[in-house]
Amino acid sequence: MTNIVGIDLGTTFSSLAILNAIGKPEIIPNADGERLTPSAIFFDEEDAELIRVGIEAINSRHLNAQRAVRWIKRHMGDADYHRTIDNKDWTPQELSALILKKLRQECSVEHGEINDAVISVPAHFDEVRRKAAMDAGTLAGLNVIAIVNEPVAAALYYATTRKVSGKVLVYDLGGGTFDVTIMNVEDRQMDIICSQGDHALGGIDFDREILALLEQNYKEKFNTELINSDEDRAKYEDEAEDIKKTLSRRRIAKKMLYGPAGSMRMEISREMFEQAISSLMSRIDILLEVALEEADIKPSGIDKVLLVGGSSRIPLVRQRLKKMFGSTPETTVNVDECVALGAALHAGLTMLREKPEQVPAGISGGLSDINLTDVCNHSYGTICAPIDKETGRRIVENRIILKKNTPLPCQASQMFYTVSKGQTELEVTITQGEDKAPEYVNKIATNKLKLPPNRPAKCPVKVTYSYDLNQRMQCSFEDVESGQALEVDLQLGQNDQMSQCDAKQKKADHLELFKVE
Amino acid sequence: MEKLLVKTLLSWLNAFKFPLLCRKIGIEVPDISAQADLNRLNCRVRLTRQQKNASVVDVLSVEICGSIHAPDNGQYTTVRILVTDITDGFSTPEPVRSSVKKWRQPDSQNFCYNANLGKLPHAENTLADWLTVAKLPCNWLKLPHKGKRILEFNTSILSAAGGQELASGTCTFAYENSIFAHIDLQENIKRTKTFAVALAFAVSAADNKLYDCEVELIKNWARNNVALSKATKKERRRLEKALKKTVAFFRIGNQINCYNICKEVVEIAPVADRYDILGLCIKVAAANGTATVEELNLLKNLAHWLEIDTNRFRQMMEKILPPNMHQIEDLEVVLGITSDMSKKQTRRHLNNEYRKWNSRVTSLDPKIQSQADYMLTFIAEARSAYAG
Repeated sequence: MTNIVGIDLGTTFSSLAILNAIGKPEIIPNADGERLTPSAIFFDEEDAELIRVGIEAINSRHLNAQRAVRWIKRHMGDADYHRTIDNKDWTPQELSALILKKLRQECSVEHGEINDAVISVPAHFDEVRRKAAMDAGTLAGLNVIAIVNEPVAAALYYATTRKVSGKVLVYDLGGGTFDVTIMNVEDRQMDIICSQGDHALGGIDFDREILALLEQNYKEKFNTELINSDEDRAKYEDEAEDIKKTLSRRRIAKKMLYGPAGSMRMEISREMFEQAISSLMSRIDILLEVALEEADIKPSGIDKVLLVGGSSRIPLVRQRLKKMFGSTPETTVNVDECVALGAALHAGLTMLREKPEQVPAGISGGLSDINLTDVCNHSYGTICAPIDKETGRRIVENRIILKKNTPLPCQASQMFYTVSKGQTELEVTITQGEDKAPEYVNKIATNKLKLPPNRPAKCPVKVTYSYDLNQRMQCSFEDVESGQALEVDLQLGQNDQMSQCDAKQKKADHLELFKVE
Repeated sequence: MEKLLVKTLLSWLNAFKFPLLCRKIGIEVPDISAQADLNRLNCRVRLTRQQKNASVVDVLSVEICGSIHAPDNGQYTTVRILVTDITDGFSTPEPVRSSVKKWRQPDSQNFCYNANLGKLPHAENTLADWLTVAKLPCNWLKLPHKGKRILEFNTSILSAAGGQELASGTCTFAYENSIFAHIDLQENIKRTKTFAVALAFAVSAADNKLYDCEVELIKNWARNNVALSKATKKERRRLEKALKKTVAFFRIGNQINCYNICKEVVEIAPVADRYDILGLCIKVAAANGTATVEELNLLKNLAHWLEIDTNRFRQMMEKILPPNMHQIEDLEVVLGITSDMSKKQTRRHLNNEYRKWNSRVTSLDPKIQSQADYMLTFIAEARSAYAG
């Protein structure tokens, strides 16, 4: 039987869920019996081929931080980022692949081979980062059948397991990122209205504020730095996380700080913590308001707020949500697990759509009445050269064709015109981003459209973008007079050249050399 | 101090032959009511108004009186009117062009009106009263400069057959030209560039320090923009001398009245050129890696005085001089928050700024990414402080 799997590749924790025989998702514990695996990696000091992932990596990090990696998701898709360990440069994709590999291999022991999987990513991840997440899955030996937005996955799980209806706001405050998704839910019909996300707002940012308090208090008392090495930092980062968790349960957290000038007892109250994170909370408030503005809904128009992510346990988060929306947010499911569980459901729906013959009848029956309408995660446009109305000069501008948050599937066209007489070529660029200024958007593809010779300027060129449910984007640039057209197909994970696939396979083989525990 | 500014600029402008600043009107305009000498041909010009469609247009009426000698009785004649601008003196006339093709000289665009005058009754003719021979709408004339102009009208009576001149008279007429004229436009371009350099030096000197990198940036801009590619070696040497003099002017702590310069720039330069000036000034402030409070304040004022749209100014700043280069974080410059905004407006504005920077944070350009990170933090802090 084909295993249908969803993976939450989180900044601080990762987890894997599988659809059971009746289409219900279940978390599969790791070899240590833990339902969540810390997204931490440690390269063994004695055995160069042994890589530890999870709680052991967290503990080992205190002893040798140089060989440890945490929060790698924050660097996903960053071409300039790498960690050099034992003379090997590890990319964020390769490091993330090690986490996925551990999840895959430990789940396979009990449930058989794991191949097809859906990986969740923050809603705000752009194509480059989504692609990087898929590459990580491929490197881990998975066939990544789709990528799902984390809040969408969480909402899918909530909506299929709890009585939820109306306008729902999913508040996903995880270890490293914050996403807000607003959707309309009617029974098992879910329509995403909009998503907004912040890439650098999560549990680790709250931890850093606590760490700053510890460092500041120690320095005030001893006039000496508390942290003098990477290992010290690793230790106190974990202490800070612990304090944050304690403060979600109690009003005061106590810790002993053992610094170079002596030890001190430190007490951090909930008020101190809340004061320290006030600008982060402002950032959360802004993102919430932006999402509501985009959905054109007032806070009173939200029927239910669903909490996702470990950081949503912070009491201040819940108080502010209650104040803003006038009701207590929904916390009936495990906020740490619902993304993986929803990703497994999404995997099932994708399989039903793409390879229905491979989906067992029990699962197919369990998922048959779920219907999800997603939206474009970003705006897509093209570079053009209009005349600036104010200055009368020709400028270079990004023109959006497919607007962010347009329900899928969607298609949009715009007419552009050639600039000069006798123009025989048109450079076409497909962009992703919200700005008019080209330097602020990412160029995801460029190509050239040949045009017939000897024509005047201002010949029309029709540009059409379409985006389907499987996140395939088709872009067409058509010279209207001659009918000549350039078609560009963009599909996540499948737009590589063969040589790049080979290279990826080689890298996957290379990862096989390493033992992940 | 103000005199020093004028002196420096004048020497500079003279080097580039900018007559506007140096020009004085030195021609006496004769009294047209004075008695005409009937032994010769006299002409005069009067400004009249004429209804044309729905609007009223200014018209110059050219009138003649006095004697016209023809070889024979019954000579058919034409009238020809030439106009030159002699504001700078009779010895340096400047051409007046025609906006109507029909009234151009055959080999140039210079104004030349020709019309049939009819048959002269005798060989010796005397016009005792003023006779209108042409009504020239003012918009037919393309004057070289804006402002008060002294125009010389040369009216000739020609034989229609051979074009032989039978009589001619000259008069001057003072005319207030309210629009920029063709030579003005060329001069304004040069002048605007000169002012750009002056303002850029003012920004550089705002903190009483002229860094070499700033000076070099301005000099290079001047070399590429003020001196034309076809400039002679001598002209280039003049430019270098003028630049050296200007650097010395600012190095000893002199300042210029940027407001007055901007006022004139607004008058003579199109908005695109004003963006160029501000762009240069922002680059100068960014040249040494940090923009001081004085530089930032002057930039803010320049944007205001040059009548640059606030949002466009901020967009330029974001690209050229990001906030991590600012000595102080000015909420108005960086975020566009002004003191007259209510809490609600501030909040809404900050949300828009957040939306903008949050979409930029995923840029593949690490510089933009870190700028966006910085801005998101700054926006959140501003919200806590001003709209929490």
